[in-house]
Amino acid sequence: MPGSEVTQLLQRWSRGDSSALDSLMPLVYEDLKRLAAYYLQQESRAQTLQSTALVHEVYLRLCGQQDPEWQGRAHFFAVAAKMIRRILVDHARQKGAIKRGENVQPEMLEEALMIPVQAKVDTLLLDECLNELAAFDPRKSQVVEMRFFGGLSARDIAAVLNTTEATVRRDWNIARAWLYRRMQGERSS
Amino acid sequence: MTPAAWHEVEVVLSEVMDLPAAERSSRIVQLCGARADLKTEVESLLSAHEKAASFLEGNAEFDLTATPAFSLQGKQLGPYRLLSIVGVGGMGTVYRAERTDGRFQKQVAIKVTPAAIHSPELLRRFTSEQQILATLEHPNIARLLDAGVSAEGIPYFVMEFVEGIPVNEYCDTGQLSTKQRLSLFQTLCSAVQYAHQHLVVHRDLKPANILVTVDGVPKLLDFGIAKIVEPWVAGTQGETRSLLNPLTPGYASPEQVRGETITTATDVYSLGIVLYELITGQAPYRVMGKPLDEAIRIICQSEPEEPSALLRRLGKDDPRSASALSSDLDAIIAKAMRKEPRERYASAEELASDLGRALAGVPVLAQRGTVLYRAGKFVRRHRLGVGIAAAAFLMLVVFAAAMAIQAQRIAKERDRANREAEASKRVAEFITNMFRVSDPTESRGNTVTAREILDKASQDIDRGLAKDPVVQAQMMDVMGMVYWNLGLFGRAQPLLERSLNLRVQTLGLENQATLSSGSHLAAVLASEGRFDEAQKLERKTLELRRRVLGPEHPDSLQSMRSLANLMERQARDLPNGPQADAGFADAEMLERETLATCRRVLGTDHPDTLAVMNRLGSTLDYEGRYPEAEQLQRETYAIQRRVLGPEHRDTMGSLNNIAFTLEKEQRYAEAETVYRQALDIQRRILGPDHPDMLLTMDNLSNTVAEQGRYAEAEKLCRETLDIRVRVLGPEHRDTATSKYELAGLLARQGRRDEALRTLRDAVDHGLPAGTDLYIDQEDDFKSLHGDPRYAALLAHAKDRAVTQKPDN
Repeated sequence: MPGSEVTQLLQRWSRGDSSALDSLMPLVYEDLKRLAAYYLQQESRAQTLQSTALVHEVYLRLCGQQDPEWQGRAHFFAVAAKMIRRILVDHARQKGAIKRGENVQPEMLEEALMIPVQAKVDTLLLDECLNELAAFDPRKSQVVEMRFFGGLSARDIAAVLNTTEATVRRDWNIARAWLYRRMQGERSS
Repeated sequence: MTPAAWHEVEVVLSEVMDLPAAERSSRIVQLCGARADLKTEVESLLSAHEKAASFLEGNAEFDLTATPAFSLQGKQLGPYRLLSIVGVGGMGTVYRAERTDGRFQKQVAIKVTPAAIHSPELLRRFTSEQQILATLEHPNIARLLDAGVSAEGIPYFVMEFVEGIPVNEYCDTGQLSTKQRLSLFQTLCSAVQYAHQHLVVHRDLKPANILVTVDGVPKLLDFGIAKIVEPWVAGTQGETRSLLNPLTPGYASPEQVRGETITTATDVYSLGIVLYELITGQAPYRVMGKPLDEAIRIICQSEPEEPSALLRRLGKDDPRSASALSSDLDAIIAKAMRKEPRERYASAEELASDLGRALAGVPVLAQRGTVLYRAGKFVRRHRLGVGIAAAAFLMLVVFAAAMAIQAQRIAKERDRANREAEASKRVAEFITNMFRVSDPTESRGNTVTAREILDKASQDIDRGLAKDPVVQAQMMDVMGMVYWNLGLFGRAQPLLERSLNLRVQTLGLENQATLSSGSHLAAVLASEGRFDEAQKLERKTLELRRRVLGPEHPDSLQSMRSLANLMERQARDLPNGPQADAGFADAEMLERETLATCRRVLGTDHPDTLAVMNRLGSTLDYEGRYPEAEQLQRETYAIQRRVLGPEHRDTMGSLNNIAFTLEKEQRYAEAETVYRQALDIQRRILGPDHPDMLLTMDNLSNTVAEQGRYAEAEKLCRETLDIRVRVLGPEHRDTATSKYELAGLLARQGRRDEALRTLRDAVDHGLPAGTDLYIDQEDDFKSLHGDPRYAALLAHAKDRAVTQKPDN
């Protein structure tokens, strides 16, 4: 059962074993991608799909109904946030490629079948800026990733980063101000 | 920016960010000193902070209204050219297409799944499933014509092109009457039934997948496709599990939402939802846009508004339509949509035929189901004297169950030998003929009782199955058990005797089926009060079962339990004394042995193990070993609480047993506490009129009376009496028993006039004849002794009891 595997990996990761994260990522990524595609294809009157809902569901599927106090949960959400970010970025890249391509090549076919997704924020730009921020303040970049892409609460983020909720809130405010200035500047320049 | 430089900025920024605006600048100056660059950076970020209030608030979202970035329109996929997009959704984009190699002129529909869900696993399932799907040929199922994988590795399905509109729109735009809708729906059921017989489950039935053509022909789309393309979680045994689906869960069954195994019952559920929508114009569950947890809770726990109630509320009910029909429809839809798959209709066909019954005005199974459900509950708690009415309902279930077991057994054997296949055919014919008793629409009214069917069958059994004594013996066994469950022991016995004899002749004595007949016959003999014979037979059966099947075989365990029950019952009938004591001791010994075996073989939590514990508890109770009994009952209760939950009826049963034993120990206050605990739960989960709850109230009233609080007991007693009068009617035996109890309480309070009046009322209106005979032995009526009116009443009751023998 993937559930216990995921649980074990999460436990190892939360104890500081960073190699566990490498094993965890593909498991979560595949599942998220498949689910996202599936949901987005469903006929639905819903206008948007919150990434949080998606993450929550993948969590249920992979880890089962764990105790909400279980700290692996927060770690899982952190991984999922990373994944959501990657999915959205991949998608935005592919769409850009299709728009720019004059003639659609056969290999584009696969991409052409991609799900219709539009992020409300310029995902590529945000991704770029987050990478830039990570270069001199990785923790703040992570806070934004977890909160924006994974919908994690300050409490969960604090658990993952081993810090206090107050620090997380401060990090968020500062990172957001920096990103805002950076992204506005990018747009106006 | 370097981490060090940033750190400086961050330190200052954190200091001033939360300060009131007025204090900020002076603090910045203070902190930055002469560092103009630092000051500028901090101020710039502060101003960004002010403006960024809503920036990145909320989560990343996927916009579902976006159009596909690219369409395959005009492209070639294998031998097909894609002409136009017909629809997006349902796990892929559907194109209208045509074949370009000239082999077919006809237009087809091609479904292409989104790239993101492609994987080797998908391809594997795709190839294995498409062969099964290709065999589905039904006028109401859109055919899967072809399936392939493009050069790019994209799987696609080629399906019959159906030009039509979703079934709900069709019904509404055409303003179809309820009857028309139902008949359309029945057609759908038969298509689903057909697919199920070919081992294909749809898994995604909803109006969007059911189109009706201009000719009015309904067509089911995408049969079995969901299984191939939906995301999966591979379980340990490699079985495919479904997934949670937060976006279209309106049609998903509880088992789908919970990720449990999908069966044909899943489609029955979805059919129920579709029917609900066809009748009311609304889907039963509104979960769109709800958080996942909430959606799961709604689907798995809440009951939707009854269709008739919804129609009334919407002002859409048709006053012309018979109320009987709408009540039947409520019941039918509810049965199809039961949370528990096994409580739904066994098949789509059964659902369709129940609708047929509703349309014909004949009693529907679904209604019977609800009564049966109640009746079943009622019977189990009232251990003594099962009413014939309840038994008639019970019989149907037992009969159906027996038939199912039979069919299963026959199906197994069919794989082994053709001879047996012949036999199963004969059984099927025989059963079909059984139900051809009379056409319910002709003859008299619409009532064919199950009893008639059975009586006719037992006459036919010699003729119908004479050629095959093995099958004949099986049928006799089944019918004998049905009669037994009906309480018609006199009819059960000869059938079971013949079954046993036939089996001994054809299968030999040391055969599992033969031994079953033996055990069944023993049960019937016991019911007839012929305990000695019953015990002898059961003992012999047990001995053989142990030898032939092994001491731990379920059949052997069953014989041990039956034998122990027999011993206990026999002991109960004996007057107190050494002989009875020995009987109970024997029963206890066997029960302990059975319990040990059950625990070892089945585990401590198994229902059979718990049943044996329950019996042993009551044996100990009979032996007057109350502390031991109580301990065991509490142990049973603890396991049940853990395994079944505190609100399960067996758990509640144990709670009651504990209280019974406490009463016997005259620990009334404790018993009262336990009864009240049970009552709280029952009130909450069963509602105020439930028979189980009333029984607990009876017991509670009794315990309260034992503590001398007669007025309080009287109040409780009147409460239950009122409910029984209202629910069961004034002539029901339970109503009468309530009156009898009330009379006792009145007599204890010295209110003799009232007591006599109430007692007379009970005797004349339904008090079981058996009770009549014991009135004079009741302590309750001591205060009436010597009263001539009481003497006259006793005489009257005895008189009546003699003339009015309980019928069997």
